Amino acid sequence: MKPLLEIRDLETRFYTQDGEVKAVNGVSYTMDAGEILGVVGESGCGKSVHALSMMQLIPDPPGKITNGEVWLDGRDLLRLDENQMQKVRGREIAMIFQDPMTSLNPVYTVGFQISEAIMLHTDMTKNEARDRAGELLELVGIPGAIERLDDYPHQFSGGMRQRAMIAMGLSCEPKLLIADEPTTALDVTIQAQIIDLVKKLQSELGMAIMWITHDLGVVAELAQIINVMYAGSIIERGSVHSIYKETKHPYTIGLLGSLPRLDDAPGTELTSIPGLPPDLLALPEGCPFAARCGYRIDKCFVEKPKLVKVNGKDHSVACWRWEEISGLT
Amino acid sequence: MTKVHPEDFEVTDFAVREHRSLWGDAWRRLISSNTARLGLFIVILFVSSATLSHYFWKYEPKKDLNYSLKLKAPNIRPNEEVDSIHIFGTDKLGRDIFRRVVHGGWNSLRVGIVAVGISLSIGGLIGLLTGFYESITMTTAERIILYGITGLILGLLSAWIANQYFQLIFFLGFGIAAGYYQDLLAGKPLRMIVFGSAGLLISVIPSLFAGLTIALICGIWGILTGVLLSLPLDGKFFSNVMMRVMDMLLSFPGYLLAIAIVAFLGPGLGKGMIAIGIVGIPVYARLVRSAVLGIINKEYILAAQAVGEPHGRILIRHITPNILSPIIVQTTMGLANAILSAAALGFLGLGAIPPEPEWGAMLGDSYRYLTSGAWWAVLFPGLAIMLSVLGFNLLGDGLRDALDPKLRM
Repeated sequence: MKPLLEIRDLETRFYTQDGEVKAVNGVSYTMDAGEILGVVGESGCGKSVHALSMMQLIPDPPGKITNGEVWLDGRDLLRLDENQMQKVRGREIAMIFQDPMTSLNPVYTVGFQISEAIMLHTDMTKNEARDRAGELLELVGIPGAIERLDDYPHQFSGGMRQRAMIAMGLSCEPKLLIADEPTTALDVTIQAQIIDLVKKLQSELGMAIMWITHDLGVVAELAQIINVMYAGSIIERGSVHSIYKETKHPYTIGLLGSLPRLDDAPGTELTSIPGLPPDLLALPEGCPFAARCGYRIDKCFVEKPKLVKVNGKDHSVACWRWEEISGLT
Repeated sequence: MTKVHPEDFEVTDFAVREHRSLWGDAWRRLISSNTARLGLFIVILFVSSATLSHYFWKYEPKKDLNYSLKLKAPNIRPNEEVDSIHIFGTDKLGRDIFRRVVHGGWNSLRVGIVAVGISLSIGGLIGLLTGFYESITMTTAERIILYGITGLILGLLSAWIANQYFQLIFFLGFGIAAGYYQDLLAGKPLRMIVFGSAGLLISVIPSLFAGLTIALICGIWGILTGVLLSLPLDGKFFSNVMMRVMDMLLSFPGYLLAIAIVAFLGPGLGKGMIAIGIVGIPVYARLVRSAVLGIINKEYILAAQAVGEPHGRILIRHITPNILSPIIVQTTMGLANAILSAAALGFLGLGAIPPEPEWGAMLGDSYRYLTSGAWWAVLFPGLAIMLSVLGFNLLGDGLRDALDPKLRM
């Protein structure tokens, strides 16, 4: 089966006054239709930027996509111009954002904004689009959906606004929904509700979802495949089970090790990864993680490891010593 | 022990507030302030007296002349000297000052609206576009338009020098071609040479008919145009150039620039309106641009892009309504400013042409008679200027408070 989305060697740079920021460095992977992919990594590792690059929503200047291809349904999105891209956005790839407080326009009613998105890509009339907006709000679980169509965003709570954003994202039944840290600004109970909602919607509507987050707990619950990113590259990729149980990359090991566990004895100190992520303005030659890695060898500082398949399974890792390390865990 | 069950009941109270619009809230805040109410009252009085008098109390300034009533003090009932009522007195030609003040309001209102309309429409458009394309990438079509307009504007000089305005069509076409073939030899010096020589040909060949020296000047200008068009122009470039032009306009003292424009166009109320309007352009351009830059990075703009909305629609539907409040405040204050500027031009004899009732011109006509005791001929037009400006300013202040987003709940 042909994959829904195929990204090859995506590279994004920001040209700032201080120099060239290497935000995304050669990201390649594929996504199947209906797959839920989790993209994890710490702040500034290129998770959001690589998704925005796919949509060509990088602010230019200073940003620029310097290399790569993004194939969606037999078309390279990076070759499309802005007009063609406007037809792809929303209809084929939709995106929801981190902060539900600011992602709805404060001067329009929620219903107006959703029906506007619908009317943009279909030839529904105003009333049909409004009815559809009502259905969508109902679908994302807003009580009294029809009455709340005429509410302004400030009359919605944070969780409701994020639901409304999801409704807007789903309005044209996209093939791929990119969710950029959609639960970060919400409290834990609302997070759980949103995650359940997304799971339910995915099983009903069957679109592929890319869930970008730094919350390892959330992806474990939601995703099928996980990409772990570090300094603009994917350093480990695999199914949820293999990432959590057969962790190969020292960075992922460190990340998982730094999570508090329920069965830890009280007073146990959390382990942390020493050091800070590398400066993207001056990325080192070799493996970007080498400076913080306990398993480093000389080779790590010289040559950047490529993402290689592990045991022919659906798991790959970018580390020179993955075979030895995997023996350790 | 008996168990207690809750009774069946119907839910009667929902925690849903009545829908209140942003403007409804702002209106309520506006009229709850005393000074804003006063401003609103003065503005309504001024607007209604000007409009009503214009339509229902006709006045023909050219026929209004009565030397026997020259410079009479205000009276509220006829006396032996004056057999008619002039509550503001009469001026040097025996004209009723009250009538002229009221009709002068119509002229001031027109000046205010037209001048602010010119400033707001041109300045606002410049501000919107520069703010928007400063951070949003242009589409191919938009870039072609940018190139075309750049070619057209640059062609103006060549066309003007050679006095051949058909050259503009060539320059427009040249710009569009440069935009369409943006990727042709992109980044190579050859591109500059190709476009430079194309620009030379376009300007030299027609200019030769106008003379050799002219052809030489136009040729040099054509090369410069071609070189500029060979560069990759983008929104940032457009925005920079526009804002520098605005800075240039702003570096002139306002009245001086207005006087210069009137000197160029000739006196008259209509020309004065245009002059005052042009002087106001940079103020609105900067205001709108800064407001756009303030909201362009909000996530709802990104979200609008992410659902695939075209640029024009984002500009009109999402950006404009969100920056309206500072514009409304500035427009109200701007009306006061325009009235004041029109009065200044009128006082200098550069605005309305004399028999026309205009407050500034009335002051200019009458201040000479102040020494002979005719205080009323100066006081009432002056009061009218002061009150109308005060009214618009108070209203503007009130609007600023009412539309302040910090007060919005």
